[in-house]
Amino acid sequence: MTETVLETDGLTKRFGKLTAVDDVSLSVADGEFRSVIGPNGAGKTTTFNLITGALSPSEGAVRFKGEDITNVAPHERVGRGLGRSFQITNVFGGLTVRENVRLAAQSVYSDEINPGEALFRDKNGFDEIAEQTRTVLEQIGLRDRADEHAEALAYGDQRRLELGLVLATDPALVMLDEPTAGMSSEETQATMNLIDEVLSDRSLMLIEHDIDLVMRVSDRITVLTRGEELASGTPEEIANNEDVRDAYLGGVRE
Amino acid sequence: MVAADFIEQLLNGLTLGMVYVLLAAGLSVIFGVMDVINFSHGELFALGAYFSLSIIAPFGAGTGFWIAIVVAPVAVGLIGAAIERTTVRPLYGRDPLYHILLTFGLVLVTNDVIRLIWGTQQRQLAVPEYLSQPVSILGVQVSVYNYFMIVFAALLAVVTWYLLNRTKYGMIIRAGSQDREMVRNVGIDIDQYYTLVFGVGAALAAVAGIVLGGYQNVNTGMGNSVIIPAFVVVVLGGLGSFRGAVFGGLLVGVVQTLMRAYSGSVLATFGDTTLTVPNLEGLTVYLLMIAVLLVKPQGLFGTRGEESDGEGEILVGGYGGVLADSTRVRLGGIAVVALALAPIAILFMGDQYYLVVLNEILIWAIFALSLDIVMGYAGLVPLGHTMFYGVGAYTAALIMLHYSQSVFIVLLGAILICAVLAWVVGSLSIRVSGVYFAMITLAFAELLYSAVFKFDFTGGSDGLLGFEALLGLGTVGESLSNIEFGLLGYELGQQFVFYYLALLIAVLSFLFARRMMNAPFGSVLQSIRESEERAEFIGYDVNRYKRRAFVISGGMAGLAGGLLAVSPSTVIISPDQTLNWIHSGEVIVIALFGGMGTLYGPMIGSGVFFGAEEFLSSYTDQWRLIIGTMFILFVLFVPRGIVSIPSLVAQRLETANNADGAVDMDEPDVRSDD
Repeated sequence: MTETVLETDGLTKRFGKLTAVDDVSLSVADGEFRSVIGPNGAGKTTTFNLITGALSPSEGAVRFKGEDITNVAPHERVGRGLGRSFQITNVFGGLTVRENVRLAAQSVYSDEINPGEALFRDKNGFDEIAEQTRTVLEQIGLRDRADEHAEALAYGDQRRLELGLVLATDPALVMLDEPTAGMSSEETQATMNLIDEVLSDRSLMLIEHDIDLVMRVSDRITVLTRGEELASGTPEEIANNEDVRDAYLGGVRE
Repeated sequence: MVAADFIEQLLNGLTLGMVYVLLAAGLSVIFGVMDVINFSHGELFALGAYFSLSIIAPFGAGTGFWIAIVVAPVAVGLIGAAIERTTVRPLYGRDPLYHILLTFGLVLVTNDVIRLIWGTQQRQLAVPEYLSQPVSILGVQVSVYNYFMIVFAALLAVVTWYLLNRTKYGMIIRAGSQDREMVRNVGIDIDQYYTLVFGVGAALAAVAGIVLGGYQNVNTGMGNSVIIPAFVVVVLGGLGSFRGAVFGGLLVGVVQTLMRAYSGSVLATFGDTTLTVPNLEGLTVYLLMIAVLLVKPQGLFGTRGEESDGEGEILVGGYGGVLADSTRVRLGGIAVVALALAPIAILFMGDQYYLVVLNEILIWAIFALSLDIVMGYAGLVPLGHTMFYGVGAYTAALIMLHYSQSVFIVLLGAILICAVLAWVVGSLSIRVSGVYFAMITLAFAELLYSAVFKFDFTGGSDGLLGFEALLGLGTVGESLSNIEFGLLGYELGQQFVFYYLALLIAVLSFLFARRMMNAPFGSVLQSIRESEERAEFIGYDVNRYKRRAFVISGGMAGLAGGLLAVSPSTVIISPDQTLNWIHSGEVIVIALFGGMGTLYGPMIGSGVFFGAEEFLSSYTDQWRLIIGTMFILFVLFVPRGIVSIPSLVAQRLETANNADGAVDMDEPDVRSDD
């Protein structure tokens, strides 16, 4: 039995009369690639936001590495090892690629930097941060472009940098919000390869629309409909689940 | 008798309130639909009153007034529409910050045009005689004009409400103020309605100007005096909400009037204790605004949520790819050397007045630099930054008067007090973002501005005087104004000593800020400017960083204010000289003008601004007109400020060289990394 990295317990979010997420209890094991799928309005994004801390739940709890983080601020969750990527590429466009990664690496060490150093010491003078930055730039294959402004990168490279920012914070679990939304099948493949390449040693939680993709890459899948958990299991179990077929696979496929 | 008196005051309050309603309705809808913070709304209001003066003159009050109240608003409406077409339109999609610079320029231009045409003396707007009679209804005696104002404005408000709620145009405009993108997505070209909204808003402001002009008088400061209360009304009611503008306008009008009438009067007596109305005239509305913003940031009737991030782009200036870093450092060194030698040139010219101007430039260079830390790096736009400049100046003057005259102790005190103030204001304000942050800091600044009038220890409206700084520690040292020494037969006075002190502090402040921006703390600030959400999700406590930046910035602005008090040419520290909102506007304008996000840009901006003001005002009375036009042209054509000119020129040359080849018209890459 492997350790559980993330657990939600009766997670519920209501917006007025609408219950967007209804009593969802998930458990993600260490090293697992978990996907959460469901049709539009199933509560995927709300669940994602509840776990990252962008929203706070009406009821229920989120536990990360055994600790209750329900009331912990988003940045603090990142500090504890819960990283996330953005659906729309969200990098610091006006800064260089190196500075982007360096900032993410710096956040890991920011507790060790005393106020005097934080104000006056050259940001490039911290060996551990510089080392971490170099490693990540190497991993995402952008070392040669490190001095370019992020906004000057091609789209694919921006996606790489996006993942690099997550990677540099050294997360135990990475939440991915539809990383391939709006991509062609080749681009989707390239992105999934990249995720596999740079994040394979982390636990992953993928929020996704594309059922075929999810079937290929996931260790386990959770299906949501109307805010509720319909089923959880391995891709085979999900594929053979009657309820899932009726509610989702049997419906109109995109 | 007491009741009649109260009702009379209530009527006066409603009368004033209706003026605010007319002003705020336009302001609010303009903001709601176009995201434009229109500072020039107050000048359009004044323009309405001045047009009426000219219209009434040939016709006489009897008929002229009625002609004016129709013709003047139409004329101002057309001017408003023209302003929208020619200047506001090119700026849509940019950060609301640029509208501040633009409309601030429009304020200067319009105000100067008014001075040029109608002169500066206060004028009386003649109203028909039957309107100015006093009338007594149920024992309450006020002028017929009060009733006229209330009824007329209410009528206009109802018409506006009808247009907004019951016509197709109104529906589209309201939908636009809720969600512009959605309106575009359903295939309506919302941009076409902007001119209409701006024109109608201007016309409503003109009506307000006419009716208030008839009630009080017409003067060149009238626009300036209503614009801030009008902003309070808009924010209280909720940006973009017509209902909010009506409710907020009446509330502010009544509260202002009642507080003025009853402050200090006895409410009730219980035995030995008497309960009096606190003397909070002028403070109440700002306290109200702060309270509302803290509890309900979107205002009482606001429907729009928080501003979404990245809606408009903030353009930071910089030499970027054109001048190498080493060239910039060399240029900076040359500038400092030139400044250090300037007094010698002035000495030979024999006119020490230039030194006074240089001193002002240095003080404002530090002030603008402090603003750049929060505005150009952390992406926070405070509309009340002069509160730190003012409180710094007052703190310095008070320390000199009561505790110590030592320059160093005085300046340190100003920095510390302002840092504490910034921490308090920052803790309360940083929770709200974007325009709401701008407005809440404005409210705090206005609160302090009103407060210094109230207290004895701040000298009320007279301000503080009779202080003097010593160059030394404790009571040992030489008075700044006594230091004189000869050089080559010339006499070097107090201005010289202060000049070198200010120059030293300005250079140190710049080096401090530059060091900070290249250190971990400053790098995080830049990431927040680029993407706040991203910064949060790589693990930074965004609000904490913003608050700390605000504290550092506040302390530095306090230092600038302290220097103002220490300066030997400063005799008095008065509320208008230090805490008037106009200085908050000026410092933003200077920072943008110079090129924000570069640290040195705003400092250069200070030099050019005051240099130009000094130069122009010695040749013409219409210097505001020229400076205002300059701002408008800059915001339209050189949005990244003076410091971006080299790269703009380089780009032009390149384009000219490649004229036959592919012409690259993309934005120049002029961001600065340090």
